[in-house]
Amino acid sequence: MDRTSMGGRKILIIGYGSPIRGDDAIGPLVADRLQAEGMPEGVEVISRHILTAELVADLVEHDRVVFLDAAVDGAPGEVRCRSLAPDASAMSTMAHFLDPRELLAWCETLYDKVPETFLVSACGTSFDYSNYVLTPTAEAAIEPMLDWVRRLIDPSEPLASDQLPGASPRETETPLRIP
Amino acid sequence: MSRTVIIEPVTRIEGHARITLQLGDTGEVEDAKFHLTQFRGFEKFCEGRPYREMPALTARTCGICPVSHVLASNKACDHLLSVSIPPTGEKLRRIINLAQITQSHALSFFHLSSPDLLLGWDSDPVSRNIFGVMRQDPALAKDGIRLRQIGQTIIETLGGKKIHPTWVVPGGVSEPLTQEKRDAMLKLMPEGLDIAKRTYAFFKTLVPKFKDEASHFGNQPTMFLSLVSPKGHLEHYDGFLRLKDAQGRILEDMVPPHEYERLIGEAVEDFSYMKFPYYKPQGYPKGIYRVGPLARLNNVDACGTPYADVALAEFHMLQESGPIASSFHYHYARLVEIIYALEMMERLLKDPTILDARVRARARSNRYEGIGVTEAPRGILMHHYRIDDEGLITWVNLIIATGHNNLAMNQSIRQVADAYVDGNNLQEGMLNRVEAVIRCFDPCLSCASHAFGEMPLAIELKDATGRVVDTLRRG
Repeated sequence: MDRTSMGGRKILIIGYGSPIRGDDAIGPLVADRLQAEGMPEGVEVISRHILTAELVADLVEHDRVVFLDAAVDGAPGEVRCRSLAPDASAMSTMAHFLDPRELLAWCETLYDKVPETFLVSACGTSFDYSNYVLTPTAEAAIEPMLDWVRRLIDPSEPLASDQLPGASPRETETPLRIP
Repeated sequence: MSRTVIIEPVTRIEGHARITLQLGDTGEVEDAKFHLTQFRGFEKFCEGRPYREMPALTARTCGICPVSHVLASNKACDHLLSVSIPPTGEKLRRIINLAQITQSHALSFFHLSSPDLLLGWDSDPVSRNIFGVMRQDPALAKDGIRLRQIGQTIIETLGGKKIHPTWVVPGGVSEPLTQEKRDAMLKLMPEGLDIAKRTYAFFKTLVPKFKDEASHFGNQPTMFLSLVSPKGHLEHYDGFLRLKDAQGRILEDMVPPHEYERLIGEAVEDFSYMKFPYYKPQGYPKGIYRVGPLARLNNVDACGTPYADVALAEFHMLQESGPIASSFHYHYARLVEIIYALEMMERLLKDPTILDARVRARARSNRYEGIGVTEAPRGILMHHYRIDDEGLITWVNLIIATGHNNLAMNQSIRQVADAYVDGNNLQEGMLNRVEAVIRCFDPCLSCASHAFGEMPLAIELKDATGRVVDTLRRG
């Protein structure tokens, strides 16, 4: 992979989850691993405990966004990747736990611009107290999550906007296949 | 026949709560209660931990105000160490606290309360949300996002770590500020202050439209408690306790925060997991007081920065005399404090000593008891620890801003319900006003749900007709 240039693309990776709630820490932990690997120019990695409103200002500055999160609806350890579309109905009744699709709806409503967005998630098995320590099942999901991210930041992979200029992103499961 | 109206969940607040309105035979409100329905018990599970873990542990209390808990906890640890932290370390702590106040107040005003303020309490609930605000006034919504981003950026720049920074430590802060970081933060100040002043000017045009709500939203005689500086100025990090009564007379002044137990008692009720603090000399429940932005501005003689002092003078004109009584004006006070926070951060960042390398005092524990008091965005925050010879925590008491306001919130709901709720013709706008008075206080229930001794708890089992068939009661 070209580690020095993304051809002008700007990509944001956001790992989120509570670091003290067992497998919920997988998003921040994968983000930490990516930071340690070193990212190409144009790729920014951040960690968040929770998703909050000011992230909207960051999202609209990027062409592609990859969220990393834990999931509960699937087989333990299963890693999935899906594209996300704006969804205002995903609105939270509170302000300190926003859904990524709600943030995208904020982007669309306020800035008329939505980055191409993917959610890479791994199904956890325990969300009890533990500080940045995953269950073995979740630990094993880290490498497949990293594979997904590597594909999603690969400059040879076209953005949806490269193929369909002006098209709104649509929500799909597993848009890319790991070879 | 009496009826009960339940509003659950209460929306656009932090945490989970329920409001119960008990209606009498003719539909009038007989009773009103605000229930905190979640239980977390931080005070209990901190026991046995080394005191140096407390800042990191208590920061987990909340995703919105971890910085406030980190500061109060570290101040309690400073007390355990018996050290005086270096002046530059204190200034840096002040900056991160002001950044926290900026971002938290921005969240409250722009994202939680602006749908009511901009669209009206009687507007269609389907669009009475942040998306409605974005459509109605996109510039305001963008300002809200940017102001929060500025506050969070300063917290991250100082704290370094993105999740739960550990930069604030017992004795000061772990690393001095670099010139590069100082300059980057200073660059944000003019834009932040422009947004704050613009929003304040806009809000002043809204205030006259809400005269009726202002007269019924917790417009009640209570005392006000906050920190003030030794000069009686606005103070968010240190200083002394001041308590004023409803007429503006100072009842307690320049009380060292370590003596808080002389002033504050705590009661519990069986309908909520939140404690009910009260002013001890007046007893429970008569000793009702309010904390937070409204209390802080009511208590101070001046803010101490140019624009905020002008805004403070205008704030006092909301009422002919005495402390501003209506809880509706928490919104106003929040905007004045955002202006102050940005002005003060700029002043501190330009301080010639802000880049000094000496930022931390080092010591081991020298006392068995430590108390840390600071002003969180929602009001005064108290951390009180006891440790053993090994430095392990044996007892913890946390008194959270939202808890201080608990009695006032319950009284405010009753007032709004009396004014707006007609039990024979319930309308959404009436119930929204009941919720909205709680939003004035901007309660953070995540922080406020803690153990205090054995929590009395009643569980009622009702059959399909609503008849209570069994009750389990503890405490």
